[in-house]
Amino acid sequence: MRIETCYFCSHPVYPSKGITFVRNDAKAFRFCRSKCHKNFKMKRNPRKLKWTKAFRKSANKEMVVDSTLSFAARRNVPTRYSRDLVATTLKAMQRVSEIQTRRERAFYKQRMSGNAANRRAADRKLVEENQHMLPEVRARLQQQAELSDVEETIQEEAIAVAIPARQRQAKRQVQAGDAMDIE
Amino acid sequence: MVQTTWKAIAPVPTSQEFLDIVLSRTTRKTPTVIRSGFKISRIRAFYLRKVKFTQDTFTEKLQAILDGFPKLQDIHPFHKDLMNTLYDADHFRIALGQLSTAKHLIEQVCRDYVRLIKYAQSLFQCKQLKRAALGRMATITRRLKDPLLYLEQVRQHLGRLPGIDPNTRTLLICGYPNVGKSSFLRSITRADVDVQPYAFTTKSLFVGHFDYKYLRFQAIDTPGILDHPLEEMNTIEMQSITAIAHLKSVILYFMDLSEQCGYSVAAQVQLFHSIKPLFANKIVFVVVNKIDVVKPEDLDVESQKLIQTMLQGGDVEMLQLSCHTEQGISEVKNKACERLLAARVEQKLKTNRATDILNRIHVARPIGGVTREAFIPDAVKEKAKYDVNDPNRRKLEKDIEAEEGGAGVYNINLKKNYMLDNDEWKFDKIPEIFDGKNVYDFIDPDIESKLAALEAEEERLEAEGFYDEEESIEDDEEADIRVKADFIREQKQLIRNASRSKKALKNRAVIPRQKMPKNMSEMKNSLEKIGLDASSVLDRARSKSRGRSAAGRSRAGSEMGGDVEMRDISMHDISQMTLKERAKSRARSQSNRREDGVTDEGARTKAEKIAKLNQKKMNRMARQGEADRHVSAALPKHLFSGKRTIGKTNRR
Repeated sequence: MRIETCYFCSHPVYPSKGITFVRNDAKAFRFCRSKCHKNFKMKRNPRKLKWTKAFRKSANKEMVVDSTLSFAARRNVPTRYSRDLVATTLKAMQRVSEIQTRRERAFYKQRMSGNAANRRAADRKLVEENQHMLPEVRARLQQQAELSDVEETIQEEAIAVAIPARQRQAKRQVQAGDAMDIE
Repeated sequence: MVQTTWKAIAPVPTSQEFLDIVLSRTTRKTPTVIRSGFKISRIRAFYLRKVKFTQDTFTEKLQAILDGFPKLQDIHPFHKDLMNTLYDADHFRIALGQLSTAKHLIEQVCRDYVRLIKYAQSLFQCKQLKRAALGRMATITRRLKDPLLYLEQVRQHLGRLPGIDPNTRTLLICGYPNVGKSSFLRSITRADVDVQPYAFTTKSLFVGHFDYKYLRFQAIDTPGILDHPLEEMNTIEMQSITAIAHLKSVILYFMDLSEQCGYSVAAQVQLFHSIKPLFANKIVFVVVNKIDVVKPEDLDVESQKLIQTMLQGGDVEMLQLSCHTEQGISEVKNKACERLLAARVEQKLKTNRATDILNRIHVARPIGGVTREAFIPDAVKEKAKYDVNDPNRRKLEKDIEAEEGGAGVYNINLKKNYMLDNDEWKFDKIPEIFDGKNVYDFIDPDIESKLAALEAEEERLEAEGFYDEEESIEDDEEADIRVKADFIREQKQLIRNASRSKKALKNRAVIPRQKMPKNMSEMKNSLEKIGLDASSVLDRARSKSRGRSAAGRSRAGSEMGGDVEMRDISMHDISQMTLKERAKSRARSQSNRREDGVTDEGARTKAEKIAKLNQKKMNRMARQGEADRHVSAALPKHLFSGKRTIGKTNRR
């Protein structure tokens, strides 16, 4: 019993899962799910599909060169069982996977390191171009309005008075209910 | 390879049949129509052809018969002698000779008549000459009546002769009549020979085949021989003599000491001595049959002495068997076969071919005559021999199985035979999968050193600062910008969503934004969201908008003048009245659209002008309306493409 890897997406395939295709030259292809199987039958190249490990590895999105990756390998020399050896192996496996995750994280950080500056530049540009959309501009306007509150009320009354009576009548005929035009 | 069987000789026709065959063939294969008006050369050619064709057919057929029969000088002496005894060689030769002579005669007749026909003057003359030629040929053929009959009989008999191969491994069974020769053949081979309790049951040679040491042997059963001179022997006996004389074989001379066959022991011994010259250079066994009745030991002294005379010289051996009880049959057979094989091998070794092969065989030996013995470990030498009855015997897996419940219950434990450093480990359960990984992929004798190397690398990297997290703490300004940018993005997304939902109108009429009604509450909300105080704007709007009560008032005033006419109508149908009134009032409430918003006549004309002007562009562009005649497609593809079911429209 062993955990195979999917031929197409490199996902681990546990015993009793997936499907195996054996070609007439005896090469076995294990697929984790029907999606991978179908894509294989369509003769797609896993390196060109973004969702496969093959793509991620070839596009430098995953750690490929590292000493931790050489621990798991198919050795074609049979080793006689020894309890001590298996015990040390199990311990080593834990430690190796620990180091591997740590390095993967470092790799990811390294990969993403250039993004912060780009994002900042983009933000700055966006803010510069869209000043009018910010609430603080309006807040400033409002502040100014509050300062000249008294003057404004007086002005408003004056405007109200200034509107000619005839115009007011016309408007009334057009409008219905609460609705009014604003620009 | 000399022929040994003649089963495929073509049948020989009788003289009359022969004639019919040839003449009918002539008529079938040559032209039949001839007229006296033809040119004489053509007539001559016609008849010449007939005569020549007949002669050709005769020659061909006679030659075929001559070739089909074996030529006595070409075949094996055994077959030659056998045929001599059976068919009389002289008679046979004469018959074939007559056929050959007839062939020559016919050829001569043909030649003569061809010469005559060449000078014939008329059709009649030609025809007569042809008739004469064919008649003479027929006469010659008719004279062949006896030889043809004889040859046909010979052919039939030859076909039924047993297929005796004179050169293969052969056992030859001979002796007085009724001594049990055929019984022996029956018991060692599959041959179905007739066995009867009277003399001369077997009248010809019989062959049976059997296998010994994967080699095919033939056993030949001969008719019984009586003891009298060769000249007095009949055909049946002569066949036996021929076989004994000519076949390279083991001779089994059968004897019946019980004298049930009707011949005394002395007579049988006498016969052996008289045919002894034929046994030269052959392996001879005296086989005593019927030992269930009388054994050689039981005989009187005189007879025993007689028998001993047969065995003198040393190369004759006596064997005993009983076909009745099947005692000693296989011993006799094996003994005879062994001797025959040994003799044949010896003979082959004498030839050059054997030495050739022997020269080519090379067996390598160690240099200096060193003897290299097989190495057997001491443990094997000291191992006690397994004995079922020994109480201290080794315990086999079979014994364990029996102890543990027998076959089907016991399951063999292979783990106990594991060769490990520590025997305690034999029954360990080995993990196959650990943390989603195959354990076996990681098992490596030098994993510890590898892991140590990895740890060292890890320390080095840590010292170099490979894992240091550069926490870039952003300052206040950057944080501000980020918050602002996020806000703007959100706003933009909202705007985008709103416009998308607006586009969802699709085919419905689009109301200009200016004309869209907006609630005051909506305006208030949006202003507050931006962060502006909406109260002043709302107050202003409210003050400008028309109140409900005012509208009602004005409507009531306008009705006053219009209702005068209504009063004149009879009041009895009040319900009808109210309905009509309501309808009318509704009609009155809808203002005249032509007059609305127009102050005076001047403004009206101006408005009309503007309206026309607006319409002008639209008319010029001639936008299509739903009232216009419309043909969606001149040739709708789905109606005009593809083949018809009837099978027309083959242009596609």
